[in-house]
Amino acid sequence: MPSWVTITLIMAAYLALTLAVGLRAGRGTSASVAGYVAGDRQFGLLVMYFVTGATVFSAFAFLGGPGWAYSRGAAAFYILSYGVLGIVPWYFLGPRAARLGRRFGFVTQAQLLVGRFPSRFLSALVAVLSILAFIPYITLQMRGAGIVIEAVTEGRIPLWAGAAVAYGIVLIYVLVSGVAAVGWTNTLQGIFMLGIAWILGLYLPWVLHGGIGPMFRDILAHRPELLELPGLTASGDPWNWGAYSSAILVSAVGLTMWPHLFMKAFTARDDRILRRTVVLFPTFQLFLLPVFLIGFAGVMVVDQLAQPDFILPHLVLSVDLPVIVVGLFCAGALSASMSTGDALLHATASVAVEDGIRPFRAMGEATQRSLIRILVVVAGAIAYVFALDEDQSLVVLLLSSYGIIAQLAPPIVAAMYWRRATTAGAVAGLLAGSAVTLFLFLNPALRPWEIHEGIVGLLVHLPVLVGVSLLTPPQDAGHTRLFTHPDLGEEPR
Amino acid sequence: MSIRMIRLAVAGFFLLVLLAVIWPGALLFRRAEPFVLGLPFSLFWPVFLIVLSWAVLLGLDAAENRAHGRDDRSAEGEG
Repeated sequence: MPSWVTITLIMAAYLALTLAVGLRAGRGTSASVAGYVAGDRQFGLLVMYFVTGATVFSAFAFLGGPGWAYSRGAAAFYILSYGVLGIVPWYFLGPRAARLGRRFGFVTQAQLLVGRFPSRFLSALVAVLSILAFIPYITLQMRGAGIVIEAVTEGRIPLWAGAAVAYGIVLIYVLVSGVAAVGWTNTLQGIFMLGIAWILGLYLPWVLHGGIGPMFRDILAHRPELLELPGLTASGDPWNWGAYSSAILVSAVGLTMWPHLFMKAFTARDDRILRRTVVLFPTFQLFLLPVFLIGFAGVMVVDQLAQPDFILPHLVLSVDLPVIVVGLFCAGALSASMSTGDALLHATASVAVEDGIRPFRAMGEATQRSLIRILVVVAGAIAYVFALDEDQSLVVLLLSSYGIIAQLAPPIVAAMYWRRATTAGAVAGLLAGSAVTLFLFLNPALRPWEIHEGIVGLLVHLPVLVGVSLLTPPQDAGHTRLFTHPDLGEEPR
Repeated sequence: MSIRMIRLAVAGFFLLVLLAVIWPGALLFRRAEPFVLGLPFSLFWPVFLIVLSWAVLLGLDAAENRAHGRDDRSAEGEG
């Protein structure tokens, strides 16, 4: 049997296992919207840990990470630097959002915002911005799955077919089981991914260069520019400090504002679990180290790949690995893609219905659930179309989405911590920040020092939020108190 | 030390981490040499900060647990 057939069979077995776990997961949850969207708020620590980790580390980390290390060197280290900084505020924001969720029955981020700042326009605006950011993110995951399958079957299963098969399976279990499927499949996929990354990250430098130290010595001797911050651009010129630093900033601000992550606050069983997830998060960050080692292992071995995102599958195939290892690697990479993709699809559809449609049109729970299901398919189809003709790097795709998502941070923080914030301030800030971000995204040459458009957006957003809030009449003190002091009477201070 | 002080100290620590990974703080750690544990310094540095941050978070969590009492699930209700 040719090796690619064996590899394909291993991948197929893995996909079948994922499907089985995903379908089984839905059996325990209730048929309500809270059951489908927030898993009846019943996720324990193990599941929460992998949900948080696996939804952050996606095809972006597994393929984009090595791709950047290989082609842009130290530029990739920005990915190592933002994660912990981004998650730390969640130690406090997460439990507070969870408490508000339990009290008022919120299942999305926009509901929390609108709870504090009553405005249907705000709800719709958040929905539109979220979807705008989600689509490129889903596209990235689908391309990732397609890249892996195309590479290991040596082109016999092209990108379009591979992406279609992998995401067909995701669609089935998300449609049947909702967020419960996402939780349990992420756990399976997370364990898989971590194991594979460490094995390959240590093995490839060793087999290709005789160890990690010798590998970097070799790179330092021949390509020293790759090891010095802030690394290189895609075309191989030195990267700019403004771009490097602001990539860290915008990603740190945006990290927990991703609706699919934020909504996890509403799925956790209790606050302890949320806090422990934050405390354990750095272990997922450390998983990026072997991922970069894989990329660096390719530098002196593989000449200029046209698409650096292919470096990982390319290396796996070019060294003499046992077929079973290659098969498992593919399953690991598919996990990375699918474990984020499923959460994203689910979140996109939930946000569209809960925040974009329901505030304007009353509907029953059953209608809501079926509408979410229909939109899961629609979102998948849109992202799939983009996945087919897209030549952007996976990292660039994600970094662009972060600019929009980071704009959700000021109103969320204001909703929970600043009593003087007003609805007009929140809406005006969000509009101004997003407009600036989108404008600079479309006109990148106008950015000062190549600073990420999302950071410039925030620099406009914050003064508008504060200024307009102070110029408009304050909200009722009893109302703001419910949000800024949610634990009053619950915990002795 | 009160829990407020600990929170402030932790916030201060993470502010320093931020300054150490972006311009201009990161200029101090930009070079490939010296190698530490086989890694170029520019890579070792963020990895080291992750491990250090983890330790600080573990410390914060222990302090928060002491301040909140052992389990806040009982205080929460299922609402």
